[in-house]
Amino acid sequence: MNAKLESIIAEAKRNWQSEQNSGRIRIRVTRDTSSLARGADETIAKLQGAIDSKKLTADLGVTGSWGFCWMEPCVTVRSAAGTHTILYGNVTPDRAGEFIEAIAAGRDFPELAIGVVEGNATADIPLLSDHPFMKGQVRRLMANIGTTDPESIEHYLAHDGYAGFGKALEMDAEAIVKEMLDSGLGGRAGAGFPTGRKWDFLRTATASPRYLVCNADEGDPGAWVNRVLLEGDPHLIVEGLLIASLATHADEAYIYIRYEYPIAFARMQKAVEQAREKGLVGKNILGSGKDFEIVVFFGAGAYVCGAETGLMSSIDGYRGMPRIKPPFPAQAGLWNKPTNVNNVESYANAPMIMRNGAQWWSSVSDAKEKGTKMFTFSGSVNWAGCVEVPFGPSIGTVVDQWCGGMREGRVLKGFQPGGPLSGVCAANRNLTLTLDPYRELGLFLGGGGIVFFDQFTCVLDMCKFFLAFCEDESCARCTTCRGGTQRAVEIMRRIQAGGGRDSDFTNLQTLVTTMVWSNCFHGQFAMTTIKTALKAFPDEWQEHIVEKKCRAGVCEALESGLQPVRRVEPEEALALAGS
Amino acid sequence: MTVEPGVEELRELVAEFQPNRGHVMPALHKVQEKYGFIPRPAFEVIARQLNSTPALIFGAATFYSDYRLHAPPETEIAWCCGPACRVLGGQRVLDAIQDELGIGFDEHTEGDRLGLHVGQCNGTCHEAPQVWVNGKVRGNLTPESARELVRELKAAGE
Repeated sequence: MNAKLESIIAEAKRNWQSEQNSGRIRIRVTRDTSSLARGADETIAKLQGAIDSKKLTADLGVTGSWGFCWMEPCVTVRSAAGTHTILYGNVTPDRAGEFIEAIAAGRDFPELAIGVVEGNATADIPLLSDHPFMKGQVRRLMANIGTTDPESIEHYLAHDGYAGFGKALEMDAEAIVKEMLDSGLGGRAGAGFPTGRKWDFLRTATASPRYLVCNADEGDPGAWVNRVLLEGDPHLIVEGLLIASLATHADEAYIYIRYEYPIAFARMQKAVEQAREKGLVGKNILGSGKDFEIVVFFGAGAYVCGAETGLMSSIDGYRGMPRIKPPFPAQAGLWNKPTNVNNVESYANAPMIMRNGAQWWSSVSDAKEKGTKMFTFSGSVNWAGCVEVPFGPSIGTVVDQWCGGMREGRVLKGFQPGGPLSGVCAANRNLTLTLDPYRELGLFLGGGGIVFFDQFTCVLDMCKFFLAFCEDESCARCTTCRGGTQRAVEIMRRIQAGGGRDSDFTNLQTLVTTMVWSNCFHGQFAMTTIKTALKAFPDEWQEHIVEKKCRAGVCEALESGLQPVRRVEPEEALALAGS
Repeated sequence: MTVEPGVEELRELVAEFQPNRGHVMPALHKVQEKYGFIPRPAFEVIARQLNSTPALIFGAATFYSDYRLHAPPETEIAWCCGPACRVLGGQRVLDAIQDELGIGFDEHTEGDRLGLHVGQCNGTCHEAPQVWVNGKVRGNLTPESARELVRELKAAGE
């Protein structure tokens, strides 16, 4: 490996070791958007106050999110001897006082414990790996999250950070692309197009300069997997971009982060600056003669900029309208120069593949889709969290194991597999988290945000809501999309107001079949929700349009068919949900 | 009534930005960060600085929902329009807030005290249904607690 890189990694490892053996209690609080929403900063202040006033030999630091988002702020406490580490959840400001009392007295605090991270299980606290939420997870992208400080390049280096880049430095571009192809890594935003092939398009492009774009405009409501990575381990993305730059001969990269993620923006900026200080970004990287710049770019709230050509228009300084392809980005992207656009997670996998080899990387599951994928779950389930798993588990496993089941009195009616364009499907516990089953149903498994809904959700209301979202976010280039989404929303509003007519079925079908002519994904897939809902929930459309009834009791102008809230047994729930 | 900043002040503010370098959005962000919105003269100043036209800059700015053309209210309630919030009763929370405030989206109460804005999901869905009050999450709302929150915010300014 590059001698300079080898020495900075070795030094970081030594520092990490001595920090670990400091003989002080180590307290680490998650500090990300989710935990801040639940009072992380006040918790941190209270803990620090207690450490100071009690003169504890403890040091306090921050980490990214473990994924237990519904139990934030999470805190790990590592004993002074370093033999016993426990993860706690729900350490909200009101509990911080009694929590730190116990720690100061040398006790555990079982009431808030989630599990033992290091050391043996105790009488009150089981191992973290035995927690249902952790079972079946394979944490590779999330390996550092919860352990390292996201704002420290030293911590990242100490965990083999930039070693994948070191390996790539010794390979030629073609070999890196081949390794990526061998791994079978598919794009992580939903389409699953082989990342290696995309990289090869840019590698073989002729013009220069050439650009990389990291699409961190995670606009699908209900998805925050990219946020967990950006806020939790930003250097992983920097390293991924560095590897991609070697594979594609790229000169500059843009990381486009949505406006809703200010912490991710700040942390990415910091990570790039730290990498620059270490000689990993800029001119003559590590003495290799390679130049590479990374710009962290802040969006301003436009869903359609998540479409790769919309994103490029946005960086170029125009309205963020998707362009007409061809030319494809690899031919003419940013400033009409060759450009490669990948999702955050796609880039973040590159360091794993380089460090451990394509074979190791792809051997994690038998599914056709290789590697691990991060998912976030939300809606009418008990736990809204973030997991990293190999492709393949069933929706039943997701709901029971990683979502802690449905909320009390709520029965799984259906779910949305990945954003407003992905469609909705009826509860089917046997569907797996792989790409094909959704494609067969006319849906797609998107960027990783799955939203579950229950019997109190009106499917038509959901359709109206998502179409209104698509209408609002349409760039208005194509008549089919601009006019089509407006028309769809008008029809849905009329149906909900009791004005449904038989012709609406035909009208909606017309929109389904014509909006696919739109230029970009946004227009092409805007009607997916209605198209798939018509298939999955035909009775409910019949009730709304013909009988003027809303079984969920959401459409106020219609007769309510809402059943009283009661506890439902799982078997009965399945029958009710029609799976 | 907000006093518009002078052209000189704006020029200085965006002096670091260059044409054809992807600086339109960073320049708009910088102006908004300083004033809370993008005052009208800024479009002309940014256009000159970036060798563009006010129409193009204005066109770009108005494409995005988070660039503002008017000063924000003292306290802003941003209602999360995400699906998890909706599944858990977000629409009724919105109805209650609008009823209690007596205004719609992007309107302000008298004296620009309180305003209502559409917020986009940022993945704090564990707090659903939620709003942000000046950026701070207030979650697990019911129509009743949302009304209570609005009354509290109204009273705070009196």
